[in-house]
Amino acid sequence: MKSYSQISGEIGEFSNLPFWKKADTVDLVYVSYGLLIVSLVILSYVLGMFNLMPHDPQALNLDLMMASPGTSGHLLGTDFLGRDMLSRLILGIQAYFLPGLLAIAISLSFGTVLGVLAGYRGGRFDTGITYFTNLVDSFPRLVLILLVIAAFKPDIYYIMIVVGLTNVPVVASLIKGKIHFLRQKNFIEAAVSLGLPTRTIILKHILWHNCRSLFIIQATLGMGEAILIETSLSYLGFGVQEPMPSWGNMVQSGANYFMQGKFWPSTAPALAILFTILGFHLLGDGLNNMLEGKRGR
Amino acid sequence: MDAPLLKIENLRTYFYSQSKQAFIRSVDGVNLEIARGETLGVVGESGSGKSITALSTMGLISAGPGVISGTIAFQTNGVQKNLLQGLENYVKLTEQDGKVMHVSKNVVGWEKHSDRIMHKIRGKEIAMIFQNPKASMNPFTTVGKQITEAIRLHTKTKDPLEAEDRAAYWLKQVKIDSPRLRLTNYPYGLSGGMCQRAMIAMALACEPSLLIADEPTTGLDATIQSKIVDLLVELKGELGTTTMLISHDISVISRLSDSVAVMYGGTVVECGPARDILATAFESKHPYTTALLTSIPSEQNIKEKGYLQAIEGDVLDTINIPLGCRFYSRCNRVTDAIRKKCESHEPDLREISPGHRVRCWLYFE
Amino acid sequence: MRLSAVKPIALVMTREIVITTLLLLGVSFVVFVILYFSPGDPFSVLLQGQMASEEARMGAREALGVSPSWYTQYVSWLVNMFQGNFGTSIRTGLPVLGELIRTGINTLYLTVGSLLVTLAIAIPIALYSSVRGETVFTWPLTMFAYVISALPVFWLGYIFIYFFMHKFNVFPVFSGTGAKFSWLYSLLPIFVLGIGNGTTSEVIRYLRDEMGRVMSEDYIRTARAKGASVWKHSFKEGLLIPVTEMIAAKIPFILGGAVIVEQVFNWPGMGRMAWQAAQDRDFPVIMGIAILAAVFVRMGSMFQRVVYVVVNPRASQE
Repeated sequence: MKSYSQISGEIGEFSNLPFWKKADTVDLVYVSYGLLIVSLVILSYVLGMFNLMPHDPQALNLDLMMASPGTSGHLLGTDFLGRDMLSRLILGIQAYFLPGLLAIAISLSFGTVLGVLAGYRGGRFDTGITYFTNLVDSFPRLVLILLVIAAFKPDIYYIMIVVGLTNVPVVASLIKGKIHFLRQKNFIEAAVSLGLPTRTIILKHILWHNCRSLFIIQATLGMGEAILIETSLSYLGFGVQEPMPSWGNMVQSGANYFMQGKFWPSTAPALAILFTILGFHLLGDGLNNMLEGKRGR
Repeated sequence: MDAPLLKIENLRTYFYSQSKQAFIRSVDGVNLEIARGETLGVVGESGSGKSITALSTMGLISAGPGVISGTIAFQTNGVQKNLLQGLENYVKLTEQDGKVMHVSKNVVGWEKHSDRIMHKIRGKEIAMIFQNPKASMNPFTTVGKQITEAIRLHTKTKDPLEAEDRAAYWLKQVKIDSPRLRLTNYPYGLSGGMCQRAMIAMALACEPSLLIADEPTTGLDATIQSKIVDLLVELKGELGTTTMLISHDISVISRLSDSVAVMYGGTVVECGPARDILATAFESKHPYTTALLTSIPSEQNIKEKGYLQAIEGDVLDTINIPLGCRFYSRCNRVTDAIRKKCESHEPDLREISPGHRVRCWLYFE
Repeated sequence: MRLSAVKPIALVMTREIVITTLLLLGVSFVVFVILYFSPGDPFSVLLQGQMASEEARMGAREALGVSPSWYTQYVSWLVNMFQGNFGTSIRTGLPVLGELIRTGINTLYLTVGSLLVTLAIAIPIALYSSVRGETVFTWPLTMFAYVISALPVFWLGYIFIYFFMHKFNVFPVFSGTGAKFSWLYSLLPIFVLGIGNGTTSEVIRYLRDEMGRVMSEDYIRTARAKGASVWKHSFKEGLLIPVTEMIAAKIPFILGGAVIVEQVFNWPGMGRMAWQAAQDRDFPVIMGIAILAAVFVRMGSMFQRVVYVVVNPRASQE
C-alpha cells in the first residue's frame, strides 16, 4: 500500500511530455526572466566590444551632471561627471563577462574530471575529493582572493582562476552524486555488461545524457557568482580602475553623492547588479527544478 | 445488538491531480462496520485503498489536495460522533462542463478542524500501528520515552515514574525480554520485529477501544512475521481489543479475523463473516476473492506441484474508473448473459446469505 | 547527561579535532604555496619578520643551509606560527598576532550577530512555508528571499547608513577611531551583513525542504496517530540539525561578506585589515587572517558535528 506522498509522486510522472509542459508556471517565469537577463548581458557584451553604445562612456558633460533617468538623450540619466549611465553600464559588462566564462570553464572541466574519478573509481579518489572539498570550504573565498591579490597582483583573471578552482569541489561532488545514483540503478553495470568501452560510458552515457542539465545549471550559477565577486572586488578597489567603468567601482564612486541624497550614480549600477544576479539565480534554480526535479515535494 | 463501534459509510477519499486535472479516486464509496470486540480483516492488493481508508479514519490525510467525504461514525463514551463532520466546508470545487477544473482547499483550516474532531480520539480511542516499524518510531528518542509519552497523554497515569512502570508492563505484554532495559534503547538498537512489538505496546498502552493495524507484518522477515501474527492472536485472546486489520496477506487475515472485507479499486467488493469468505468453496463469492484465494499456495497445491493462479491484467487505474464493474476487465467468470450489465452498470453490494454481501452481477437476476 | 552518552561524544570530538588539525595543515600549505610562487620572494621577507634579531636570522640560515629548500621554509614557518609567532606587519612593523586577536574578536562579533539575523529571517519563513504549503504569501516570500540574496551588500550598507544615520538619526555616527565603538552603532553592520550576505534564500530553501522532508517521515505520522505534538517530534531532525548545518556551511560566506561590510562601515575588524593588507601587499598580515578565518570556519563545523552527535544517538555508534 502506498502512502499519500508516494501517490502524488506517481501521478507526477507523465514522461512523454516535453519538459516545459511539465514545469510549474513559477519555474517558467523564473527561466524566462533569467533568459531575458542572459540575452541582455550577452547583447550588451557584444555592443560594448564593438563600441556600439548610445554615447561615449567616457565623455564628460559637466552641464548635465547626475541627470535622472528618462532625461532626453540619456535613457538612464548620467553620473556625477555627466557621463551617460546606460553606456557605462553596458561597458561595465566587459569587466566580468570573459573572466566569468573562464571561471566557469575551470570549475566545470576540473570538476568533471575529479567527479568522474571519484564516482567511477571511488576509493582513494573519493577520500581525496572529500578532503579537497573541506579544504576549499575552510577558506572564506574573499579572503583567499585577497591573499592572491597580495601575493600576485589585482588581476581579474587571477581572481577568476581562484573562483573557478574554489567551485571545482561543488561540480565534482554533484557529478559524483550523479554517478552514484546511476550505479544504484545498475545503469553503469548494465552498460559495462553490454561491452561498451569505458570512454563511451563516461563521455556519452554519463556526461552527455545524464549530466547535461547539471552543466548548464552550474554554468548559470557560476556566472552569478563571478558577477558577485567581480563587483565586490572592484567595489573594494581591486578590479577595474576609474575611469574604466565596472558596476562595482561605479557604486563606489557614486557613494559620496549617495550621502548627500543623490542616489542615482550608485543606485543604477547597484540595481544592475541586483537584477543580473537575480536573473542568473532564477535561471539556475528554475532550470534545476525543471530538469532535475524538485527535491521532496 | 449494539450499534457498531465504527461504521464507515460511503467514504470517498480523492486526491486531486493538478497536472491531469482529475481526481485519483483512492477510496470510492467504502462501507464498513466493526462491532465491539470484533476483528475485521481488510484485504486487497496494493492500491486498492485499504490504507487510505484507515488513514482517513484517523484523520491523517491532510497534506495536499486530499478530499474526504462520507461519514465515519464512531462510538465514544456512548455517544456517536462523525469523524468527518464539517470538513467539506474547507474545500471548494470549481466545475466546468461537468469536469472539476480546480480544487482549492483550506489546508490549515481543514487540519485544525480535523485535529479538533480527533482530539482525545487519536491515540486514546483509536490507536494505529504501521508497516515498517523501524521507520515509524522516532529515531531520536528512546523507546521508553515514546511509550511513556503516549501513556501520559492519554491515561490517568501522569507521574513519569509510574508511566515508566506501565510502559515496562506493556513491553512485557508484547513479549519483549528485559523490558526495563529496552526502555532505554533507541529504535536503531532494536530489530524490526522488536520495533513492531514496541509499536504494538505503544498503541495498546492507552487501552484504545479500536486498534487499526495497517499491514503490521509488511517489511519484516518471514519468520518474524509469523511471530508477530502469533502475538496478535494471543493479545486478541487476552485483551479482546476491537481491531481493524489491514493486510494484503490473506493468510494473516485468516488467522485473526472474525469478519473480512475484500477491497478492489477503492471499494469493498465483498464482506461478511470470515468463515464464509475464506472458505475454500468456489461458489457464492466475488470473482476477485476467488482469484485472491487461488493465488495463495495451499498444502494441496504444493503437494501436487500445481501452478498458482495469477490474476490477469493490471491494477485498476483509479483516475479513469470504468462505468461498469471495476473488476470487469480482469474477470474470468463473466458469462454472456450478464456481460452487458457488467460493462455498463456497477453492481451494488447485496446480501446473498445472512451477513455476507457481494458486489457482483453473477448473483442477481 | 548520562555517563554512557559522554564517551561516544568524546570520541567524536577527538576525531573532529584530528580532522580539523589536518585541514588546518592543508590550509597553511595552500597559503604557503601561493606565497612561494609569488614574485619578489615574499616568503623570506616573512621569515625575516618572524625572526626579530639578526642573530636568530643568521642562526636560522645556518640551520637551514645557504639556500633553504621549500620544505624547510614551510616547516620553520609552521613551527613559528605554532609558537604564536605570525611575523610582523610590513606596514606597521607590529607583531601580527596581537592585531589579529584584536580585530578577530570584532569580526567574530559581527559574524555571529549576522548569522543570528539571517536565521531570524530564514527560520520563520521556512517554517511558515513548510507548514502552510502554498499560500498567497509563498510567492512574495520566495521573491523577497531571492531579492535580498542578490542585493549587493555595499549598496545595502549605504541605504542603511543614509536612512538610519543621516536621515532619521536613529544610530550615532561612528567616528572610526577604532578602539571603542558603541554597541548601538554595531547593530547596523550586523543587520546589513545578516540581510545581505547572499545566503538567505539558500538557507530558507534548505530549512524548508528539510522540514518538509521530516514532516512526511513515517515517525511523524506515528506521532500524529498517537495524538502527540508533531513539533516536539520533528524539532530535532527538522529544525535543530538543519540550522546547525546551515550555520556551519555559511560562516565562510559571512566572513567573506564581512570584508565588504567592514569596509562600508569602517568597522575595525579582520576583513578591513585584510583589505588594507591586500592594498599594501602586507602578506604576513593577510596570511594570518587566512589562517584565523579557517580556524573560525572549522570551529563552526566542529560545533555542528558535536550538536549532531549529541542529538542523534545513532551517529556516535558509527
